[in-house]
Amino acid sequence: MNYPFWDTQLPYGPLMGLIAVVHVFVSHFAIGGGLYLVIAETAARRAEDQARLAFLRTLSKFFLLTTVVFGALTGVAIWFIIGLLNPTATEALIHNFVWGWAIEWTFFLVEIAAAIVYFYGWERLSARDHLRIGWIYFAAAWLSLAVINGILTFMLTPGNWLASGDFWDGFLNPTYWASLVLRTGVCVLLAGTYALLVASRLPADRFKTSVVRYNALWALGGLLVTLPSFFWYFRIIPAANLQAATFMVYPLWSVHGSLLFAAALAFLVLVFGCLLPRRMHLSVALLIMLSALGWFASFEWFRESVRKPFAITGYLYANGLEVSRMDAYRKDGLLAHTTFRTGDDGADLFRHTCRSCHTLRGYRPLLAALDGTDPAFIAGTIRGIHKLKGNMPPFPGTAAEAGALADFLHRRTDRRPLAEIYRLEGTALGRKVYEVRCGRCHEFGGFNDKAESILGLTEKDYDDLLKNSGEIAEEMPAFSGSPAEKEALIQYLLSQKPGGAK
Amino acid sequence: MNPVLPSYQFLPAPLWLIDTLHILTLTLHLAAMGLLFGGVMVFFFGRAADRWDSAVVPLIRKSFPTLMAATITLGIAPLLFVQLVFPQPIYSASIVSGWFWLLIIAALIVAYYCLYAAGFSKSAAPCGKYLAVALLGMVYVSLVYSSVFSLAERPDTTKALYAANQAGLAFHADHAHWLLRWMHMISGILAIGGFFIRLAGQKDPKASEAGRRFFLGGMILAIVFGCAYLLVPAGVFQAVRGGPALWTLTLAVLLALAAMHLSRNRSPLWAGLFLFLSMLGMVATRHFVRLALLEKHFRPDSVPVSPQWVVFGLFLVCFVLALGTLYYMTALFFRATKATSK
Repeated sequence: MNYPFWDTQLPYGPLMGLIAVVHVFVSHFAIGGGLYLVIAETAARRAEDQARLAFLRTLSKFFLLTTVVFGALTGVAIWFIIGLLNPTATEALIHNFVWGWAIEWTFFLVEIAAAIVYFYGWERLSARDHLRIGWIYFAAAWLSLAVINGILTFMLTPGNWLASGDFWDGFLNPTYWASLVLRTGVCVLLAGTYALLVASRLPADRFKTSVVRYNALWALGGLLVTLPSFFWYFRIIPAANLQAATFMVYPLWSVHGSLLFAAALAFLVLVFGCLLPRRMHLSVALLIMLSALGWFASFEWFRESVRKPFAITGYLYANGLEVSRMDAYRKDGLLAHTTFRTGDDGADLFRHTCRSCHTLRGYRPLLAALDGTDPAFIAGTIRGIHKLKGNMPPFPGTAAEAGALADFLHRRTDRRPLAEIYRLEGTALGRKVYEVRCGRCHEFGGFNDKAESILGLTEKDYDDLLKNSGEIAEEMPAFSGSPAEKEALIQYLLSQKPGGAK
Repeated sequence: MNPVLPSYQFLPAPLWLIDTLHILTLTLHLAAMGLLFGGVMVFFFGRAADRWDSAVVPLIRKSFPTLMAATITLGIAPLLFVQLVFPQPIYSASIVSGWFWLLIIAALIVAYYCLYAAGFSKSAAPCGKYLAVALLGMVYVSLVYSSVFSLAERPDTTKALYAANQAGLAFHADHAHWLLRWMHMISGILAIGGFFIRLAGQKDPKASEAGRRFFLGGMILAIVFGCAYLLVPAGVFQAVRGGPALWTLTLAVLLALAAMHLSRNRSPLWAGLFLFLSMLGMVATRHFVRLALLEKHFRPDSVPVSPQWVVFGLFLVCFVLALGTLYYMTALFFRATKATSK
């Protein structure tokens, strides 16, 4: 671990997600909008439709100010934030794909220059030259997407690159084409929705009717491309990623969310874009934009979620630790490989192993799950962390380091007994004890369910089981709760019936 | 047992090639930044809106957003190449100053929109306010860049700062090092800005005179602060004295003096060329100084090289095509502008 850790109170997942989603929402419009402008301008010039040309001019100003400034700089923001949050992943990506990025930069140069010339060229350039610049813009912008898409999809599905290390194996990875088609569809969809937003300000007349319907067709066309390509993309994701995701809340939410947002988007565009175009008010256009943002953000969230626990699948964990070096970390200890130390080993271990995805008491809090437990239990849990529900990377350190991290966490937990913290007794307390000490790995009716083997036993069996629990599996911590908690847990287990009652 | 996986600790082209690309693209970035940042400074401190009573003022004002686009776009490549060669020092320094580093984006967005607001403004009155905000944003960005990149040359200071503060709220502690570096850079930028205003305002004697004064003043200040930067912070003079930095620095100073001389003799294009070459020399010097300062901690020539020639070739092809397309588009635009103005 060659890097310091940027330790703030921020939840890093949502922070990264926010910056990335805002950027892609603008940058995909930057591509689709380019295509929209040049096609709509060609049609307007052929029809000598001055009103339409004036609308396109207004749109191109909005386009310039949105994409060249905000779109470009939020792209740089992604680069900055990944360098702060996961410098090892950024370093790995830059070393492998620097020439890909350099190629993308050449397209970006052309894209930005063409956007400026296109906007300032409305009055100066001939119609033919203006359209040429528009096509150059779109070609450069789409090629820029085609390059970035290779690097982005590599992170989820590095494919044969893991064996060969070859640039092209990584770039043209299994999800490359599906993602490219999907993102191209999103570009077209967003071109329509952004154009609807600008058109919503027009007076409600025949011209507005025509412009709104035209824009709605773009949005629907884009949506028609994105939906099947989303399922294509979904089918290509390796089974291991999807299997792990089925026990996680966020990927499931995001898939359902994306479909709901897509349905809302289709409904709004059909009703207010095609059937009642004069009622395409600003508020409706904003709702359409929000639905499009929701659909795209849900997809991006899903993509990020199914990659867990990796930043680069099979290669680098989300906490920046390399898969290939885990044995060395376990043998020598992570701290021996940590360049930037603060003098507080527990805190350093927390930062480099947990903090990328968790906070202590805020987003994805660790302490809430550990309140009322003890250092031995926490250390045992840390050693078997990769077995827990939640798809986490293995702990990359020695037993002593697990102990140091456990002490760091335990000092910050609520150290009262569970009965006092949650004001519970009897089987209700037993249920809580099960949830805290067993349920993270063994959910009744859910993740790694052991109901068949542990329900229906006698009190003595449970007593023996808890006494020997530390010897059942290497990753399983011994039961170290108080006698009262043990008693409550046994009573809870006795109250449960095999095959159902929970 | 861990799987055997490809290493990422390699350079995908020979070091000299990446360094050359870095130095060249950084010089282009600094040139664009000089025209913009320096141009805004001269425009602002020269009180252009009050004094220059010709068509030159709005022309210059309208060019700022485009110069901002050029600055940002040309800034991407050198940052990419420098992160490729010096990942650990640079990421570490930016993490230690994480909040300041991230806020660069917000400052740039505000500055950029202010430049557009000034550019689109029909009257001169509100421009001063917009330009003042844009200038503040650019000053902030330049301060943070100077601090972070100076810090990246001092890994021991980076470690000490991190041990004291992990929240990304640390600024470079060796103020002589980064402040002098910043003042040297800002003076150079002012000189380029003066040069730009002089060139752009050739038809306006007041603008041209203001540009000339700022150009010469900026150059003199850059030399003064450059000497101070060389002598005051520990290690910089030693880094220059023993290696190729001495030659590139000497060449850069001679070229700068030649640019000043040519500027007085009303040969602006030659002066501009010498100014650019002088900047190239300064950027190369900066590169050699960094290598020398980091030598005890990290040597980029120790990183294995595993060239990706096919992809590099593709980059070269795309780069040449991009240059051709840029030339085509600008030629088309300026030809049309000329025809329109006739």
